[in-house]
Amino acid sequence: MNHFTFTSKQKNVLFAFMGLGLLCLALTWFSDDALHTRFWSNFLHNATFFTGISFVSLFVITAFTTAWAGWYVGMKRIWEANMQFILVGLGLMLVVALGLWGHFHHLYHWSDEAEVAKDAVMKGKASFLNKYWYTLGTLVIVGMWAFFSYNIRKISLDEDINGKGQADNFKHHRKIRVWSVIFMPLAGFSSAAVIWQWIMSVDAHWYSTLFAWYSGVSWFVSMIAITILTLIYLKSLGYFAHITSDHMHDLGKLLFAFSIFWTYMWFSQYMLIWYANVGEETVYFYERLQNYKPLFYANLLINFILPFFVLMRNDNKRKFGPLAFAAIMVFIGHWLDFFLMIKPGVRHTALEALGHHHTAGHDTTLPFQMGFTMPGLLEVGTMLGFLAFYLFITLRSLSKAALFPKNDPYAEEATHHHVWPYI
Amino acid sequence: MKQESTQVLYGLYNDEEVLLHAVKKAKEDHLDIMDVYSPFPVHGLDNILGLTESRIHIAGFIYGLIGSLSAFLFMTWVFTRDWPIIFGGKPYFSALSFIPITFEVTVLFASVGMVVTFYTICGMGPGVDNPTLDDRITDDKFCIAFDVDNADESKQAALRQFLTDTGAEEVNVKSI
Repeated sequence: MNHFTFTSKQKNVLFAFMGLGLLCLALTWFSDDALHTRFWSNFLHNATFFTGISFVSLFVITAFTTAWAGWYVGMKRIWEANMQFILVGLGLMLVVALGLWGHFHHLYHWSDEAEVAKDAVMKGKASFLNKYWYTLGTLVIVGMWAFFSYNIRKISLDEDINGKGQADNFKHHRKIRVWSVIFMPLAGFSSAAVIWQWIMSVDAHWYSTLFAWYSGVSWFVSMIAITILTLIYLKSLGYFAHITSDHMHDLGKLLFAFSIFWTYMWFSQYMLIWYANVGEETVYFYERLQNYKPLFYANLLINFILPFFVLMRNDNKRKFGPLAFAAIMVFIGHWLDFFLMIKPGVRHTALEALGHHHTAGHDTTLPFQMGFTMPGLLEVGTMLGFLAFYLFITLRSLSKAALFPKNDPYAEEATHHHVWPYI
Repeated sequence: MKQESTQVLYGLYNDEEVLLHAVKKAKEDHLDIMDVYSPFPVHGLDNILGLTESRIHIAGFIYGLIGSLSAFLFMTWVFTRDWPIIFGGKPYFSALSFIPITFEVTVLFASVGMVVTFYTICGMGPGVDNPTLDDRITDDKFCIAFDVDNADESKQAALRQFLTDTGAEEVNVKSI
């Protein structure tokens, strides 16, 4: 079973969930305020989240290739399939960019020219936070990611057919290595730039130098979680027999380690702002502790405490039950993390734009509002829709190539991967 | 500490693969191996010898827990009871600012504790006399050792035969 068959049953289930997502988006649109804030913030939330996950798939392939890693080769087709979503993500983010030009939405405070004109801070940032940079940045950066992902996958698929191994000195693999080395520094700077534009600028006055790292790691952990879940699902269907508990063990280690790294980022950002106690920085956390307390603590509980204790033991990383449990929880947790990054800022911008100046200050207690204070059923449905869309792209690309890459110099090594002698 | 010396019969191998086969054969023949020495960790050796997973990381977890609790509680006691000082306008009990030190002390306790435990279990450490069978097992030789204290002539001869048959370059007896 080296070729994945995308059955019509799987397609129908995914289409059903995509339909559910569309239905939820439509219902959100019609039950929304005058600016369709909930609709657009849900759209932005899921579009950035899933685009980021596919970007990290590409990044991981380039990083592992550059590091001469061998163990991942058996599962690299999943990541190559994941990164096909980058192009879709470009489309989704261009919809948001288009909304800036046509004033369809009010996600970003800085997009309101009248507001910027009377605001010194936003005036100072206007040379970066404007619709020209937003559109151009999205187009160039995500386009660049898509370009790299297209080429790396193309070479990798060509290696299956035309690769000659030792005879042509692993020509294909060397080519991928060159692409990878070029991509890594580009990925570092470009991901930060889009994170500032897409996510951090919803709180237009606020900034944090750690923010790009923090949300980038959030993408990373979610990507590892979704890889683990896809692998476990496909293994249960009989595919990926060459992926053993040892490979899952290493994925579990990545999930464990990067959950801790995420906490490190979260804590560093929070503690520095808390300690320095500068009003224009603390407002971000004050707002979240004031109006989003359950989510604020749930975020730490699900994304740190839970994976830390579940994945601490070696045998838990090798058993599919605990591993799948941790992966599902952490995936939901990081989706909530993005929810908490985006919603409070968007809500303030909307309140101000709708003329509720008395509640628009950051020091007021806001009433409970479904879809903002807490993700409601519509948000869950929208997320499932996007997830189904993402999985559809992944599985469709997966079915077009052999699951185990032939002629890769590390293919043999990947099948003999042992990390744990005691069974 | 003065110990009763033991008669040890040991064979030296040149290659890890040969050693692995020899150990596998010894297990099949139900020979009682005293120990196996190698200059570096040999993959798969633990499995064949039937060694179980080390429990030192459980000890490490407990040391770490002791470390985090003692650091956190000590700082709490100092800053709320013993010598309360206001830093940067923060409350006396500022759990957040204790976390970096708590983390450091956790790592310190866990690592030092595990090193001390490991050395104690293995009977190593400063001032302890550790006899080596052969200096070359720390360099380029792989060694299987049998305890022949209570073995008669024929048993010893059988073990010697086994070692040479499985590819040992040298077979010696030493009392340690």
